[in-house]
Amino acid sequence: MTQVFFDIMAATIIGGALGVVLIRNVVHAALFLIMSLMGVAGVYILLSVEFLALVQVLIYGGAVAVLIIFALMLTRVGELKQKLDGDQRPLAAVAALTLLGAFATVMYKTTWPRDPGQLTVVPFDTIGTALFNRWAVPFEVASGVLLVALVGAVVLAMQEEGER
Amino acid sequence: MWALPALPAAGFVFLLLTSQFLPRKGDYVAIGLMLAAFVLVLITGKNVADAIGDRSLSLADCFNVGGCPLAGSERSWDWFSVPGYIDIRIGTYVDQITLVMLFCVTFVGLMVMIYSTGYLRGDRRYGWFYAIVSLFIASMLTLVIADNLLLLYGAWELVGLCSMLLIGYYNDRQSAAEAAKKAFVTTRVGDVGLLIGIIILFVQTHTFNIQQILAMAEAGEIPREWLTASAVLIFAGACGKSAQFPLHVWLPDAMEGPTPVSALIHAATMVVAGVYLVARMLPLMEVVRGMPELITGIGLATTILAALIGLAQRDIKRVVAYSTLNSLGLMMVALGSGAVGAAMLYLFAHAFFKALLFLSAGSVIHATEEQDVDRLGGLWSKLPITGPVFVVGALAMAGLIPLSGYWAKDEILVGLRHGHLTPIVLAATVISLPITALYMARVVMLTFFGAPKDAHVFEHAHESPPSMTLPTVLLAVLAIVSGFVVFEGVGEALGFHSGWMGFVYNLAEGPEEFSVDWTLSLLSVVLVGLGLAGGYWIWHGDAAPARRAAAFSPAGYRLLLNRFYIDEAYQWAIDHVVLAAGQVVAVFDRAIVNDTGVQGTGETTSFFGWLGKYSQTGRLPNYALAIVVGIAVIVIVAFGYRG
Amino acid sequence: MEVVSQEIPLEHFVMLSMVLFSIGVYGVLARRNAVLILMSVELMLNAVSINLVAFAVYTAPSLFVGIIFAIFVITIAAAEVGLALAVVLRVFRNRGTSNVDEVNALKW
Repeated sequence: MTQVFFDIMAATIIGGALGVVLIRNVVHAALFLIMSLMGVAGVYILLSVEFLALVQVLIYGGAVAVLIIFALMLTRVGELKQKLDGDQRPLAAVAALTLLGAFATVMYKTTWPRDPGQLTVVPFDTIGTALFNRWAVPFEVASGVLLVALVGAVVLAMQEEGER
Repeated sequence: MWALPALPAAGFVFLLLTSQFLPRKGDYVAIGLMLAAFVLVLITGKNVADAIGDRSLSLADCFNVGGCPLAGSERSWDWFSVPGYIDIRIGTYVDQITLVMLFCVTFVGLMVMIYSTGYLRGDRRYGWFYAIVSLFIASMLTLVIADNLLLLYGAWELVGLCSMLLIGYYNDRQSAAEAAKKAFVTTRVGDVGLLIGIIILFVQTHTFNIQQILAMAEAGEIPREWLTASAVLIFAGACGKSAQFPLHVWLPDAMEGPTPVSALIHAATMVVAGVYLVARMLPLMEVVRGMPELITGIGLATTILAALIGLAQRDIKRVVAYSTLNSLGLMMVALGSGAVGAAMLYLFAHAFFKALLFLSAGSVIHATEEQDVDRLGGLWSKLPITGPVFVVGALAMAGLIPLSGYWAKDEILVGLRHGHLTPIVLAATVISLPITALYMARVVMLTFFGAPKDAHVFEHAHESPPSMTLPTVLLAVLAIVSGFVVFEGVGEALGFHSGWMGFVYNLAEGPEEFSVDWTLSLLSVVLVGLGLAGGYWIWHGDAAPARRAAAFSPAGYRLLLNRFYIDEAYQWAIDHVVLAAGQVVAVFDRAIVNDTGVQGTGETTSFFGWLGKYSQTGRLPNYALAIVVGIAVIVIVAFGYRG
Repeated sequence: MEVVSQEIPLEHFVMLSMVLFSIGVYGVLARRNAVLILMSVELMLNAVSINLVAFAVYTAPSLFVGIIFAIFVITIAAAEVGLALAVVLRVFRNRGTSNVDEVNALKW
């Protein structure tokens, strides 16, 4: 049963990803991205980290996807006809496949340590406590990064005088 | 003992810097220092004599370390050392041979400096002259007191340098510059041999100290091939400096220099440096089979060649130059038979009469502004001092009894007779005696007697100033009496315990008694007399017999006049061999070293840079691809390493 | 509840993550529109997160370091996307194109 669920999620993810990289229409590609990201959220649920699944849906599905569609609008992908795929395609395919092959070999050749004991599901509050205790500094740094990104984005995207 | 070369060296530095500003360009500084050096030598000699007399020490003891209160008879200081491998010391070593050389160098040096105040008065480079002469004296003194070959070689080179500089004194004359270059290059050939010989000895013995090397050579500790090689090479160096055949070609040309230079360097001191070297290294040379024969052979060749050429030369200085070659060859012949005492005696006497000949020839030139004997003649009446002293020098050179040259030559003949070489050597030397007498008589007759050949020259001839005539007179006196030191009585009167032969001798054989070999003496007296008489007869008056002789064999005359065409042969060899090789090397240097090596590597790098710029496409995807490929490679390699 | 680790082997998750990553790589290299490239980057980041979480759950769940890490990855990814899109907008305004092939001023 679990396996089936996993397979469905995997198919969603891979299918969405393929759609992102192969589809001619950019907006459709964005939609396929959303599909893929939701699949990832499903995988997180499968792994019993519901918190991450929630975060995934909220941020990726809610913020990032919207941001991307806005960017597509502002760069007028609908009106201006531009080439979407470059000349590097064969090389790119080769590189990607090589990478995949390398990773796969590594994975299958290595013996991974397994936790012999029972899987314990990590409850919500433990994660929260940990975030504010042990991982407090990275948490704050992450907030700093977000702030910087925010300010930076505003500065970059501002309309200067005299620009159209 | 170090004060000895230090004095003129200081003079050199001082004069080089300040001679422009001093009155009379500071010649008195040089002369004063020279006088001081000479006095020091006299004091040293007196010390030796006293030490021998007072303590009845044997002579060998006296010169050894600690045996005698000589100022540094043998002392050394550390120079540089690599611990455990080499330890090079620098120091002084004084023995009888050294003492003789010191006396000659300082005395003749003094005479020449005084003479030059008259000869070179008012000349443009007057101050520079004294500076360089001071440097020369300093180097020469260092050379004779050096105890190790490295120091000796350094002084040797310096002496050669000074010689070259002074030959080219008249630097507005092309011929002088050429002569200087020729002198330096020819002696260079010998010097390279000397250096290689020194290095070979060092490699074999790990020391530069002369006495140590000689001891090891006599004890047979040096392998035979290396010993032979180094002996031949060192002798080659001596040949270069002492102008032995075939490296003799520079000496006649060196007459381009001013006459005082010729007197000092090319008669009395530098050219005998080679003789000194051979005498010093004689124990090493005698161990090598065939070496004494080589030395004698070359000496003999030089002597006879020079005597024959001297018969036909017209420049008065050239005649004296060839007579120098004659004498040098004779000294080498003596050394070849191991007759060190005789050779040094001849060196001693030769220093005086040869310097005398040069200086008085200089007086003649100064008087008449002319050097060609075909334009001189009849100057006896016009030059009342120069004439007689020149004749004294010529007679001493020829070996007329009882002048110094006679005693010296006699000792050489005795040494040859008692030597181990074939009697042919003795015979050849005996035969050379009348030839020498002949050409000396010729030059005297043509210059001072007979009818003047150029009336204009004759009219203007005048005697030289006292600054020039005084040294010549002093030298003439010495040329007459210096031979008498062979007598025991004279030696004892001077403070030494015996005559010359008991003082200066071949250290391997021991002191000799002075004895007169009546047969040889009689023979030499007769031959010399015949030679002189013959010369008088041939060249007196209008020299008609000479002209008949020349007409008799024009080819022979031309051969002699052109110095056997040796110079021309050398020039041909240089043009066709040396310069051609130089061309090849030049092409190699330009094409391979420069174009390929230096330029080439630069251009290759530029080329690859130019090629590399095409990778900067400026496009993001290309760079991204590069990154991904890099990552893939890293993963594969890392995993390959571990797994 | 079911224990995931006994039903689905770890390799499946890791394989999924690697395939997703490779597809993302292909997208970055092959696509020409700047926004599309960013989307591919998102795919890659997600792949990484899946990987981290899978390992955390399977090998050291008591430490849950991987989960925390994944949280931060998502955070940073979001920030980065915002910034990157701002850059794309500016470039579009200056050059009139969002085709990365045509933005090659650093060419030799």
